[in-house]
Amino acid sequence: MLPGIHQNFDQQQAPAFFARGPSPLARLTFFTALSLALMATDSRLQYLTSIRATLMNLLHPLQVIANAPSELFESTDEYFTTHHQLLKENTQLKQQVLMQNISLQKLNLLALENANLRSLLQAQQALAETSILAEILHVGRDSFTKKIIVNRGKNHHVVTGAAAVDATGVVGQVTRTYPSSSEITLVTDKSLAIPIQVERNGLRAIAFGRGRDNTLDLPYLPANVDIRRGDKLVTSGIDGVYPSGLTVATVTEIKTTPESPFAHIVCVPTGGIEHSRQVLIVNLPQTEEPDITADEAAADVSKKAAAAAPAKDAAVSASTKPAPAQPAAAQAKPGQPEKAQPPAAEKSPNKPLTTDQSQHRAQQ
Amino acid sequence: MRNNKLKSIYLSLLAAFIFMLFPWSGLALALRPDFMLLVIIFWLLRAPNQCSVGTAWFMGLWIDLATGGIFGQYALAYTITTFIAVIYQRRLVLFSSTQQLVYVFSLLLVSQLIILILKTFAGSEFTGWVYFMPSLTGVLLWQLAVTLGLNTGRHSRGN
Repeated sequence: MLPGIHQNFDQQQAPAFFARGPSPLARLTFFTALSLALMATDSRLQYLTSIRATLMNLLHPLQVIANAPSELFESTDEYFTTHHQLLKENTQLKQQVLMQNISLQKLNLLALENANLRSLLQAQQALAETSILAEILHVGRDSFTKKIIVNRGKNHHVVTGAAAVDATGVVGQVTRTYPSSSEITLVTDKSLAIPIQVERNGLRAIAFGRGRDNTLDLPYLPANVDIRRGDKLVTSGIDGVYPSGLTVATVTEIKTTPESPFAHIVCVPTGGIEHSRQVLIVNLPQTEEPDITADEAAADVSKKAAAAAPAKDAAVSASTKPAPAQPAAAQAKPGQPEKAQPPAAEKSPNKPLTTDQSQHRAQQ
Repeated sequence: MRNNKLKSIYLSLLAAFIFMLFPWSGLALALRPDFMLLVIIFWLLRAPNQCSVGTAWFMGLWIDLATGGIFGQYALAYTITTFIAVIYQRRLVLFSSTQQLVYVFSLLLVSQLIILILKTFAGSEFTGWVYFMPSLTGVLLWQLAVTLGLNTGRHSRGN
């Protein structure tokens, strides 16, 4: 009697209501393994880069849809700006234009003078950077990483490794490019480092993002270092990524403790995505063969000196200047992922452009 | 009927994804509930035959893509969370509304914990207890939806 009931009960479990295909445990195992494999592939190998780019392209229309409400709100908000506000802004802008015009005139003079001096010294002409204005599509959706996505990408000649700046200072660096958008890692991200210089005394150091509180760290500086609160930090330009002289941050806190030989210095970035929706992506023109070693370069110079024209020779010797500085910067930041330093292969598309520009400049 | 249900599943998942894509920032970002996981949990309870661990994994991949993180992080978190959800799905009939709320809250917490562990392995630092706020707002959103009359499967099976 009892076994019969059991049998009946077993049969009742069979109907379609309970049929669910593979068991949840089997699915869990399968998809967990798949996720782990994906994570390993994505973090260690480069196979998924093109797949990611393709999928991002598919995602783009959705992104535009998701951004539409906030843009609509902003545009209506702008529409209802009062007459008074507009007038005030207008006078302010006019004043600003006047001031900037004056300094621009000075700049033209200085640029001419600089070109003359450089030609006197037979040094390589400084190259004008190409820059692209981009608008922020969205700020990272992740509280762990400090990243933004902007609406300019490969189609607009944005390259990985380019610097991103705004009116007030450096914002970050382009770390991934997709066809019509690109990802910028902010200076406050843990994986980004910037070679800086203290504006007041020219002291060089490297600033690291802290990954939280929107601040930067200046580690590995001795406790008696000459840095004061309120000091302005600017890019030193020795990394070949950022143009020199851009404001990065101001020092807000210096702490020295007896048990540590290093000073604990905290800085707040001056540029920030909180202030504006636009960023300028600066493609620094690459000098010839940026990753050549000093010895090879010297040999190269002597070889070319016999055959080539003196002007080109000077260009080669000047181009090697940043080279010794780069390994030093790399040594100072252990555990730094590769993405902070743009891979040499991706710089190469820039080359023809830069040589063109230098020739153009030389002709002038 | 079945086709209709599938359609609404896909539409709601798409809507959740667009919600995740909104340009959240600052405080809103810190409070933003995980719309995607909430929708997935909802369909797990309502239509376990159409929406399962595989769906969650696939949607997790899209979230990974949108956040710009390493592929597979959200996918793994969603997979494990939905597995736990599926195990308890049949028992849910007996849950009171408070119990169901606690159940959803713990599911959201589990997914956040898995993300936290994965991110810590990748070298990120814990950003403080505010990190768990989305679970709280998520469960509030769930309660709001239930109050507004969304059928979360409890009563339909209960009778």
